[in-house]
Amino acid sequence: MSALAAIVQLLGVALAPLLPGSIQALKARLQGRRGPSPWQPYRTLRRLWGKSAVDPEGTGVVYRFAPPVVAACLLAALVIVPVAGRAGDFGLGHDALVLVGLLALARFALAAAAWDTGSGFALMGAARDLMIAVFGEALLVLALLVAALPAHSTDLRAMSAAASAGAIWSGPAHWCGAIAFALVILVETGRQPIDNPDTHLELTMIHEGPLLEYAGRDLAFIQWAAAARHWVLLLLGAELFLPHGRAFGAGVGLLVMGVLGLCAALAVIETAEAKMRILRVPALLGFGCVVALAGAGLWVGGVGA
Amino acid sequence: MGVLGAVAIAGCATLALGGLLAAWPGRLAVGVVVQAAGMLVLGVVGIAVLTGDQALGSPFRSSIGPAFGLDQLSGFFLAVLAVTAVPTLLFARDYLPGSAGERGVGALTAGFLLSLVGVLTARDVTTFLAFWELMTLLPAAAILVAKRDASVRGAVYAYLAITHLGGAGVWIALLVLQHHGAIGDPSALAAAGTGAQTLVAIAALIGFGTKAGFIPLHSWLPRAHPVAPAHLSALMSGMMIKVAIYGLIRVEFQWLGATPRWLGIALLLIGLVSALGGVLWALVQHDLKRLLAYHSIENVGIIALGLGASLLFADAGAHRWAAIAFAAALLHVANHAIFKTLLFLGAGAFERAVGSLDLDHLGGLLRRMPWTGGAFLVGSMAIAGLPPLNGFASEWLTLQSLLHAAFYRPVAVALVAGAALAGLAATAALALLCFVKVVGLALLGAPRRPQCADATDPALGMRAGMALLAALCVLLGLVPGLIVPTLASLAPGAAGAGLTRQPGLLVPGTGAYPALAIAIALAVLTAGLMRLRGSRRAAPAPAWACGQALVPELGWTSAAFTKPLRLVLEGVLRPRRVLEVVRSGGMVQKITYSGHVPSLVDTLLYEPTIRAGLRAAAVARRLQTGNVRTYAAYLLGLVLVGLACARMGIFG
Repeated sequence: MSALAAIVQLLGVALAPLLPGSIQALKARLQGRRGPSPWQPYRTLRRLWGKSAVDPEGTGVVYRFAPPVVAACLLAALVIVPVAGRAGDFGLGHDALVLVGLLALARFALAAAAWDTGSGFALMGAARDLMIAVFGEALLVLALLVAALPAHSTDLRAMSAAASAGAIWSGPAHWCGAIAFALVILVETGRQPIDNPDTHLELTMIHEGPLLEYAGRDLAFIQWAAAARHWVLLLLGAELFLPHGRAFGAGVGLLVMGVLGLCAALAVIETAEAKMRILRVPALLGFGCVVALAGAGLWVGGVGA
Repeated sequence: MGVLGAVAIAGCATLALGGLLAAWPGRLAVGVVVQAAGMLVLGVVGIAVLTGDQALGSPFRSSIGPAFGLDQLSGFFLAVLAVTAVPTLLFARDYLPGSAGERGVGALTAGFLLSLVGVLTARDVTTFLAFWELMTLLPAAAILVAKRDASVRGAVYAYLAITHLGGAGVWIALLVLQHHGAIGDPSALAAAGTGAQTLVAIAALIGFGTKAGFIPLHSWLPRAHPVAPAHLSALMSGMMIKVAIYGLIRVEFQWLGATPRWLGIALLLIGLVSALGGVLWALVQHDLKRLLAYHSIENVGIIALGLGASLLFADAGAHRWAAIAFAAALLHVANHAIFKTLLFLGAGAFERAVGSLDLDHLGGLLRRMPWTGGAFLVGSMAIAGLPPLNGFASEWLTLQSLLHAAFYRPVAVALVAGAALAGLAATAALALLCFVKVVGLALLGAPRRPQCADATDPALGMRAGMALLAALCVLLGLVPGLIVPTLASLAPGAAGAGLTRQPGLLVPGTGAYPALAIAIALAVLTAGLMRLRGSRRAAPAPAWACGQALVPELGWTSAAFTKPLRLVLEGVLRPRRVLEVVRSGGMVQKITYSGHVPSLVDTLLYEPTIRAGLRAAAVARRLQTGNVRTYAAYLLGLVLVGLACARMGIFG
């Protein structure tokens, strides 16, 4: 079974770009446009692969290393996150907090590269991204805490298995965690109302800012990593907080439905909500933290069980 | 006594000899190397005691009279001291010659190291307190020998005043313990009742907490640490505050005789406030050494989080997790000592090369000083808690501890642990933001000053010291699991945490952090992706600035990068800004802008206290008229009051 799970996990490398692609396609439909096809990210990646890179003057080794490091972090993250509670044995463990560290390393690499270019727009985006990450990371670990409570473990396989029983759905604690994790998905994937992935105006960019100088295969790596972030986060959301079963086959089926449902939800939110003022984002995330903490309190107090 | 004891004494003697040699004219470099040799010997003794099961010399005792000894906990701290001091002394060998007061500082360094060793090996109250005071005074003396201007004297005065006021707590705690014969005997204080226990616990928390730099008792730390010479800053921030943690562990964990729940909650809250406060005020600093000093407060906070979690686990009866949380705190003690020493040494090398420590005056140093810059980058990534370096290993273990502490009732404790967990995650993200800023401003981009363009790597000794520490950051990051079982066995009341000795961190019953595998995976994947990318046909181009030329004036500063965060946290940070516009004849001639972020603790706590103290002194001054007759009246009054008291039988 674990070999099968490993294959599904590695499929994520190829399937990840489909997630942002389908969100964009669905969003266009909801907005009454024809929009790009769900396969557009693959075309973009192929186009970028054939182009030459750009080195801004004065940049050094940090700028050149950043794209492979970012992609390597996300590849490792992909292997750590199980599929439907199962995972191949790649020797990297399946710990939720290690995942947090890998995402932080990717963030560091991109922000340091922004400093290497010295470009004001790249730095503006990096500064905002890291500011939001302060609140986003606190929210992420609290959401993981709520998810870890039933299993008493931070092993993602155990967390997924413990949440698969039916009883947990009737308790309020689980739903507090789900609300918090929904906000985490918005933050980490850089979606509206936190960030606008479609923006072409430098002054409003967050995640797009540090990518401004990159081109060619460098940019392809970073674009793929952004898609892999969607994959990791949506997969976690579906297998920790949405209904799923213990059996692998049914689990994968439910997982696909869950991930697609989350994609649809993101498209709906992006259609309905404008980007919020960046200085108000911490208040929203702080609200998420309070909800998650309340969820943990409810569970420990015996209400959630 | 044995062979090991003789070796330890020989190490101390070598250290002292090195100090004497350093004071000798023309023997400074030799003296410093001899000191390094002495520390190396002491480090070997420390490791031997830590890994063996035999304590050395005298056990702790409540009788008066000098006694020295070494048990496993002391051995651990002695080993950490040696691991940081040896590279620091190598650095000092090439750093000290030519600096102000070089011989005096060289000799006082040996004295400072001896006093640290003395505190760690003291086995009775008087010896401990004597070395404790020396440990406070000697670096102050060294700072005054090296720098003589008024601002430095002010900083040293604040350091001595605050650490002595707070340090009274250490005296109270230890003397009460001595009174009850409870030094090294937890049952004695338990017999004395909860009153004495509470008194000792609070006094030790204040006393050792002041020296460790817990907020709000930290105010001396960002003043004193930056003014010292680089190698002393490194030792003070890397090791002196850890010795305070050592004292805290001795009293609160070993001699208290009970683990009250409120103490665990108090440590968690103190740790939370110190970690978040330390990193927040670090973010808004421009001076590199001041920034690093604030980060020491943050990291001491993280250590306190681990210790607090350990106490809460012990209270809940989860002894295995109590040992794991304790090991997390000790691992962070070692890790922070290593990377903070490295960063302070790097800052010293930058200062030598560029002549400034203002972050906005550095830039582009990674290319010009590859050794220093590379080591500094490793240290920055370690302190920012990034895998696969050592900072992440101890932060991961601390996060695990806090997460598991949130599983236990009562709900209030679970909520505090949950809040501490979120706070630690936010702290890690803030440290990341801060060190991206430091790395970007100091190492990357274009030089912001002509001096940066001409900077070169320092002499061999300085390079070797920093490279050694950077290598340790990587090594402890790769194989933290080899020492964690030993550290867990040091926890009180736990025979072992059921941990197996292996490279990664594998805690039974929860997720694992296979550090070595993650590091190899990241390295292999990065290398593979670089290959996949192939030889880059990169087009050189100026960075995009909306079509403008990218002139140095467009470069980002320290303040600009933290602006979003300062705007969001305006209510907490309370920045002060001064904008002056000079106009004449309707034309703006000049605009000056300055802004700084005062420490909230200073403005809300210390400044009112100082004002109230001065006001009280002004009132008290009225008693001192200088008139002999007034004093005679005071004496007469005193005698009358005494007589009245005696009459009423108050004196018994």
